[in-house]
Amino acid sequence: MKNKIMMFWAIVAIVIVSTVLIFVKPTKLGLDLVGGSRLVLEAQTTPSIPKITPEVMGNLQFAIENRVNKLGVAETIVQQVGEKRLLIEIPNVTDLNEAKSFLGETADLEFKREIQDENGIRWESTGLSGKDLSRASLSTDQIGQWVVSLEFNAEGAKKFADLTKELVGQKMAIFFDGELQSDPVIREVIYGGKAQISGGESGFEQAEAQRMVNLLNAGALPVPAVIVEENTVGPTLGADSIAKSQKAGIIGLSAVMIFMIVFYHVPGLIADVALIIYSLILFALFKTIPVTLTLAGIAGFILSIGMAVDANILIFERTKEELRAGRNLFTAINSGFDRAFTSIFDSNMTTIITCTILYLLGTSVVKGFALTLALGVIVSMFSAITVTKNFMHLIFGTGELKHPALFGLRKDEIGQSYEATETKREKARFGILD
Amino acid sequence: MINTGKKHLVHIVKYRWWWMALTCILLIPGIIAMIYSSVTYANHAPMKVGIDYTGGTILQYGLEQKLTNSEVEKTRANLESAGIENPYIQILNVNNDQQKKTKSNINSIISIRTKFIDENSDTTSVITKQLQRDYTNPELISVSSVGPTMGKELFKNSLIAVTLAFLGIVAYLSFRFRFDYALAAILGVLHDVLFVCGVFSILGLLYNVQIDGLFITAILTVIGFSVHDTIVVFDRIRENLRYYSKKMSFGEIVDASVNQTLTRSINTSLTTLITLLALYFWGGVTTKDFVLCMILGIAIGTYSSIFFCSMLVDFWNDKQSKTKQVSA
Repeated sequence: MKNKIMMFWAIVAIVIVSTVLIFVKPTKLGLDLVGGSRLVLEAQTTPSIPKITPEVMGNLQFAIENRVNKLGVAETIVQQVGEKRLLIEIPNVTDLNEAKSFLGETADLEFKREIQDENGIRWESTGLSGKDLSRASLSTDQIGQWVVSLEFNAEGAKKFADLTKELVGQKMAIFFDGELQSDPVIREVIYGGKAQISGGESGFEQAEAQRMVNLLNAGALPVPAVIVEENTVGPTLGADSIAKSQKAGIIGLSAVMIFMIVFYHVPGLIADVALIIYSLILFALFKTIPVTLTLAGIAGFILSIGMAVDANILIFERTKEELRAGRNLFTAINSGFDRAFTSIFDSNMTTIITCTILYLLGTSVVKGFALTLALGVIVSMFSAITVTKNFMHLIFGTGELKHPALFGLRKDEIGQSYEATETKREKARFGILD
Repeated sequence: MINTGKKHLVHIVKYRWWWMALTCILLIPGIIAMIYSSVTYANHAPMKVGIDYTGGTILQYGLEQKLTNSEVEKTRANLESAGIENPYIQILNVNNDQQKKTKSNINSIISIRTKFIDENSDTTSVITKQLQRDYTNPELISVSSVGPTMGKELFKNSLIAVTLAFLGIVAYLSFRFRFDYALAAILGVLHDVLFVCGVFSILGLLYNVQIDGLFITAILTVIGFSVHDTIVVFDRIRENLRYYSKKMSFGEIVDASVNQTLTRSINTSLTTLITLLALYFWGGVTTKDFVLCMILGIAIGTYSSIFFCSMLVDFWNDKQSKTKQVSA
């Protein structure tokens, strides 16, 4: 009996810890629930970079991270998946097209020429821009001032040469973020695709030049990247999905609980308490690990509620059978648990096998579903077997509650068992003797 | 005799041929639909395949008004004249009581499927502008896009996943039970998968229902559940064989085992179906087909574990003992 009571308090402790965790930890909601964009980018090879090496991917990731960060949204994720893909997650976007805009946008570097007409002097785009850069670096010029050295890609170098040829003796201005940086006079044609930006008369601070270098490098993607997959959900649909999932979950859970009481009476009620404990532990686990809850994940969770009582149904059906076969109450309850265990274990193993496969091979949506379902199956083994067994023992162990109706059986169904007395050994096994 | 407390409700062995016939009746319409689809569809797929596997883009707009078919037809024509090739349009209606909670005034969702829209294309804004002309305040609520290469890859991965699931289950069951049980369980799973695919093929032909990445997830869950159900019956056969194999014939043991586990099989399926039905009727719009797939799979999985798999095990045993008798 002592062991049973200790077990009971252990369960209570687990429930308290889970409840605290649920209140303390934030829920991580997937993009399909809060609204947001999930993009998969694939790096494309170019004639100059025929192979996507890990180094190229590293640079691409850095560049994309910089661009994504410029959106100013918290909790963005940029991570490499596979050999040549990047997964980008941008939560809480309200304008569905805005999320993608960072891709089309290149560094805000522009080369402009001076045009003089009746309206006075103005700057006109030359068509050469940050898009044509291959990289930027920090260096100093002859007089020791900080400058930003630019290296154009093949196309950019050609454009730059053509442009300088055309503009010999004229001014060419360099605009960064819409601001004029310098407007040197072109003295001769510049071949080789290299140029420098100096800070004009006032010169650059080192930090200022470094910032420009970083932004320019971030702006120029080392290789082109295209979107191969996109999932964007607006906040309206996300909020709607949450509300609906909550409603479906509550309805599903209540219906299952009513079902259990109708069919299994007192044991059913115990299974319902175990089911609530199950939900608390599972939800606490989701928050602690943390598992990002997606719509499919919530579906997995709600589905696992139905499956969690499966073990209890197996056990209770077996107990009923044993009672009908004339066993006494204690033996019936115990063999219900013992004999149902192999079925429960084997059948849950197959679910775990399929979940493992889904987790290993699936996309991130599928992974969420597989993880919630697998965790659900594991936790349900604890709640449906350990928790239910403990409660059954504590409640029926007193020997006071013996009426067949408590198990949903008629008196004539139960045969001899109503009068059967337990042997010492059975009592010991049941835990009512110390 | 094993005491089951009541008379047998179902007779597996006695009505063996009836159960085989019923199984055929359940499967044949779906198989016909799949063959018909493979012949008639351009991509020769047995089911209508969604953008996850073919590549493409789906744009969803929330609208304040309820949509009628004629309005949708008009929009389709307008989109085509705006240069969108074969736009495929679906309407999803939104439950009214839900909106008060979410404070949105969206009454219906129009979903437009087109070819893959890449980041350089302005197709999205063309469609948005057209809808703005046709309806008041359409709100772009979701975009999902899958590139053509990605679609092929997803398809390959799905096939690998399903094959691995089958192999994993056969290996586990052969280890825990016997190989012929594993085979019967797998045939049961195939039966269930075939049925669900058949129904979706029919739904594809009649209502344009398309299968997507979540469909495969649902199928794998159904596989897990179907085996799960079958195991409970087999576990009971295994247990009864241990105690009663001398007193009863194999057929009698199968019948008794099925009847002993009958209430349990039906009840667990019911609890799972209850939660799934709650998800179907009150859950999110986007997971409806996913849930429907699981509802079908779990219902047929219960049928197959009771009637189909145990019948197979008995059938093989019968064959074996007959050949033994002949050779003796």
